Amino acid sequence: MTRMVSSLSMLAIDAQDVEKTFRSGWMRRRETVALRGVSLTVARGAIVGVLGPNGAGKTTLLSILATLLTPDRGRVTVLGLDVVRDASALRRRLNMVSGRPSFLWSLRVAEIVAFYGRLYGLSGRALRRRVDSLIELTELEPYRRVPYSELSTGLKQRVALAKSLVNEPELLFLDEPTLGLDPDVAVRVRAHIARLRREQGITIVLTTHYMREADELCDEIAFIKAGRILARGTSGELKRQIRLGEVIALKLDPARVPWLAESPGVLRCVEVDGWVECTVDEAEKRLPELLRALHAEGVVIRNVQVREPELEEVFVELAK
Amino acid sequence: MSWRNELLAVWAVTLRNALMSARNVFFFFELLFWPIVGILSIGLMSRFLELSEAQASFVLVGTIALSVVNVCQLEVAYAVLLDVWSKSLKHQFLAPIGIRHLTLGSWIVGMVRSLAVFVLLAALGRWAFGFHVLQPGWLALGTFLLGCFLTAWVVGVAVCALITLFGNRAEAFAWASVNLVLVLAGIYYPISVLPDSMAAVARALPLTYFLDAYRAHYGFESEFRAPAATGLALSALYAALAHWAFLAAIQRARRTGLLLKMSE
Repeated sequence: MTRMVSSLSMLAIDAQDVEKTFRSGWMRRRETVALRGVSLTVARGAIVGVLGPNGAGKTTLLSILATLLTPDRGRVTVLGLDVVRDASALRRRLNMVSGRPSFLWSLRVAEIVAFYGRLYGLSGRALRRRVDSLIELTELEPYRRVPYSELSTGLKQRVALAKSLVNEPELLFLDEPTLGLDPDVAVRVRAHIARLRREQGITIVLTTHYMREADELCDEIAFIKAGRILARGTSGELKRQIRLGEVIALKLDPARVPWLAESPGVLRCVEVDGWVECTVDEAEKRLPELLRALHAEGVVIRNVQVREPELEEVFVELAK
Repeated sequence: MSWRNELLAVWAVTLRNALMSARNVFFFFELLFWPIVGILSIGLMSRFLELSEAQASFVLVGTIALSVVNVCQLEVAYAVLLDVWSKSLKHQFLAPIGIRHLTLGSWIVGMVRSLAVFVLLAALGRWAFGFHVLQPGWLALGTFLLGCFLTAWVVGVAVCALITLFGNRAEAFAWASVNLVLVLAGIYYPISVLPDSMAAVARALPLTYFLDAYRAHYGFESEFRAPAATGLALSALYAALAHWAFLAAIQRARRTGLLLKMSE
């Protein structure tokens, strides 16, 4: 699925018909098709989420875009450079954070960031300044002399984030950046990602299993399943594309009203924490009808809420 | 390509390996324990067998070569092994790092460490067995050490290539490969005592020539013409081949996904 962008120079990523198959086993006969003709364009300065179930091909796609894997077929241009032919030049301009980061266990936090800084051409005072600022930014000052092996999962994630910013990348890949983090740390990481785009204009491509994260951060979302992009758009566009309808949540007395699910325009009804959630085709039209019917049956209506379906429901629908 | 960036990348690897070495007690054993055990056991054996001074020097040269090559080669292999063990390989290869930076940076640390081993063994050999490493002169000693370092570099890079090609399964090769080279290169004997087929392989190894050149100064007739020059030429050839193999292995790992499998 290709989205037209006014100028090619405005694209951070232009991937067309990308295919990748992994071979394993005896004589490499066992084949696992990871990507089946994926096309994706990402505008400069955008945050795009790549969502999908486990094994959908998200990490494979990110790895190809980040030059860690070579595609079998297709054309991939990142920041105007070919990911295979110009890989060395491209690596200076991008970076990546993984969900389960790992670095040399005996190295201390500041040493890890400095090691990568040197690889990107930093030295002397410039290197020290960059290391200090990244350690401050990721709130790692109390841990700068702590060996990596002694850090908690959240702190390791912050080291990965600091390392990923050491070359001031134009494009950042975040593969499950908040995986395994405490909720408060995850909130801070998300705030930081949003700030990176806002203040530095970095293009960000992220994969996540947390729909709220994607909803909150991403300008656009691409849904990938079995190596294909099935849908793409803003969170709202996806919800409309999937035709999930709208949700009317009712707090009733008595709490259970079996005939509600059979009412005209009601697609399904579920009970959640004392609420009856009815998914309807069109809330504006169905709400008065339902309220009238409930009133006529003598059901007391204690509370009513109308909302769009969650992105998670879109995910579940697409993953079916 | 800027020279400044090239040197910085080499320095980054040098510093990283040096820090890792300094903080690992296992590395301490590599540096001291096994080399000392080696020279003491071989030296005492030569005394028990009542070898002549020249014969004892012959085997002690081999013992020292074994330790120097072993320590230096392992350090070069650590260029990849450290990242494989800590599952950080993909971060390393996501950065603008070339194999020249990896192998040169780790080789520098390897040379420093094996030079320390050499000084220690030379002192121990002199004190315990009257073996004098400087008897052939500074130039001969320098050539011999350079030969050991070059051999270690070639074997270490080849091990890096194998690990990148086959993953953790090739790790055992990192520990075993150098011993195979040393056995074939005539570590405790002239290669003329080897069967013809093995002697032919020995003649293809640079270390064979460096051992021969150095031992000639202890009264043993050289088996080759211009052994030091031949050793250097072979080292250059194998270094180029090993680097090409390492590069090909990384490209293959990017194609097969092994680079990701060996990471977190």
